[in-house]
Amino acid sequence: MTASREKNIADLRLTRRSFIKGCAVAAAALGLSESMVPRLLHFQECTGCTESLLRASHPDIGKLILELISLDYHETVMAAAGYQAEENLRETMKKYQGKYLCVVEGAIPTKDGGVYCKIGGRTAMDILAEVAPGSAAIIAIGSCASFGGLQAAAPNPTGAVGVRELVTGKPIINVPGCPPNPISFLGTVLHYLTFKRLPVTDDQGRPVFAYGRKIHDHCERRAHFDEGRFVEQYGDESHRQGYCLYKVGCKGPATFSNCPAVRFNDVEQWPVSAGHGCIGCTEPGFWDNMTPFEERLPEVKVPLGEGSVGSAVSVGRKVALVTAGAIGLHAASGVVRRLVKGTAKKDEVRED
Amino acid sequence: MRRYEFTKYRAFGPLYRITHWIFAGSCLVLIFTGYYIYNPWFTTMLETGTDDFTVANIRFLHFAAGYIFLGAVTVRVYLWFFGNKQERITDALPINKRNLKNFWGAILNYLYIKFHVPRLGHNALAGTTYLVTFLLSMVMIVSGFYLMFPESASWQHWGLAFFGGQQNARMVHFIIMFYFIFFAMVHIYIAIWNDVMFGEGLVSAIISGSKFLHIKRPEVD
Repeated sequence: MTASREKNIADLRLTRRSFIKGCAVAAAALGLSESMVPRLLHFQECTGCTESLLRASHPDIGKLILELISLDYHETVMAAAGYQAEENLRETMKKYQGKYLCVVEGAIPTKDGGVYCKIGGRTAMDILAEVAPGSAAIIAIGSCASFGGLQAAAPNPTGAVGVRELVTGKPIINVPGCPPNPISFLGTVLHYLTFKRLPVTDDQGRPVFAYGRKIHDHCERRAHFDEGRFVEQYGDESHRQGYCLYKVGCKGPATFSNCPAVRFNDVEQWPVSAGHGCIGCTEPGFWDNMTPFEERLPEVKVPLGEGSVGSAVSVGRKVALVTAGAIGLHAASGVVRRLVKGTAKKDEVRED
Repeated sequence: MRRYEFTKYRAFGPLYRITHWIFAGSCLVLIFTGYYIYNPWFTTMLETGTDDFTVANIRFLHFAAGYIFLGAVTVRVYLWFFGNKQERITDALPINKRNLKNFWGAILNYLYIKFHVPRLGHNALAGTTYLVTFLLSMVMIVSGFYLMFPESASWQHWGLAFFGGQQNARMVHFIIMFYFIFFAMVHIYIAIWNDVMFGEGLVSAIISGSKFLHIKRPEVD
């Protein structure tokens, strides 16, 4: 500790934890929690986002729902059930009209009137259409609520879409990921709690504090990329050495997220440090355009005569072959023509 | 032995020729380094602690060549409007009767059906191909900048609008690379073929700027 810092009376030597506690006390004192009433709607999803959120630590889920916010409706953690739960939903919607945060988890199916997801006999589309207009803002947690996720992958049998496709006129913050890091979600909530406004987002509606930079640019294996040291296949010597996973399909260079910086749930791990490349789960349509996950580029489906499917490379090779073949054929027919007809044909040229 | 009479005509200006060779050089570097970036096939295997920076250097070459390519495209567009007659955009596009006729003539010519007289500038088929190549170059430039500056708000905006994400842009960028390989192969073959067939000195024309036509008129259409 330097002398100048010791003189700094504003330096309270705050740890991260006590800072958050301080925020909580301040928020309670200001009565912020009154207006912070998130309703968590679960639609087509696996509850993985909630599972991830339950393991959050800054703040932990207990502190979040008991001290920081008033969580009035959440299918997984609420005490009420059945009619009572649905009654709570209507009650708090009326009470906090225009003030509550609506958090959506899971995609919303739209095909056939949205019958593929129903809660309490009502479709997800209906519930969202009822809850969204009265909210202050909507937070879409996870890739499904943000962009449709796995349900929306081709051929998208239930017509699943993200919240942004259905709701207009309300600020929508997307916190994608499969699951998203709880830090990104809680950061968004606490940002709103602290500053009474939503964080700055990119063109995809993702907060830039968490999704402003590519994974590739903060990756701990980046030095191996720049040096040209790559894992050629899983389990080889390079893999054991912890080299770059680019050649086994890592999508870090195409994916915006804070994974390498904040990692997950205090265990200091994330997929790349565990030895598998990024699969690009925070990007829209990642099930379609990031697969196969262990290949550099997606498969290209070229509707050739027999409906054959080739990878981009093999298409390129075919183009090169056809080109070479066409050139060879053209040159050969010129030679044959000359052999058959002799050499004095050039004078026959006519104008156009 | 038959004797031909050729007259030497000025076809292409120096700036045009320099631009051509900058295209050739930068495309060669871009294709080589671009494919390398897709699949780094030679690497510094198992040598932790070396400082040769292979992939970083290859990427630098790719980006630098990209800027040079962009410069050459800019000059080419300038010459479309301010170059000599053979270099202008209107000279070789099938947008008038003369060039529509020439377009069809060029196809018959390359099919060995009916040879046409080489003209001083490009034939209309070549001119059309160059326009397509220019448009694909623009796609390459836009997707290239989007991939190079992923965090820039403006490139992110355009990139999303055009391609719908980094990975899709990379895909488009990769596939169009094969067009440029295809173009280079056909382009070189056609140039040599014309030279062999008509003795106009097409290959050397892009070095010296002069073509040889065996018609005693400066304009051969």
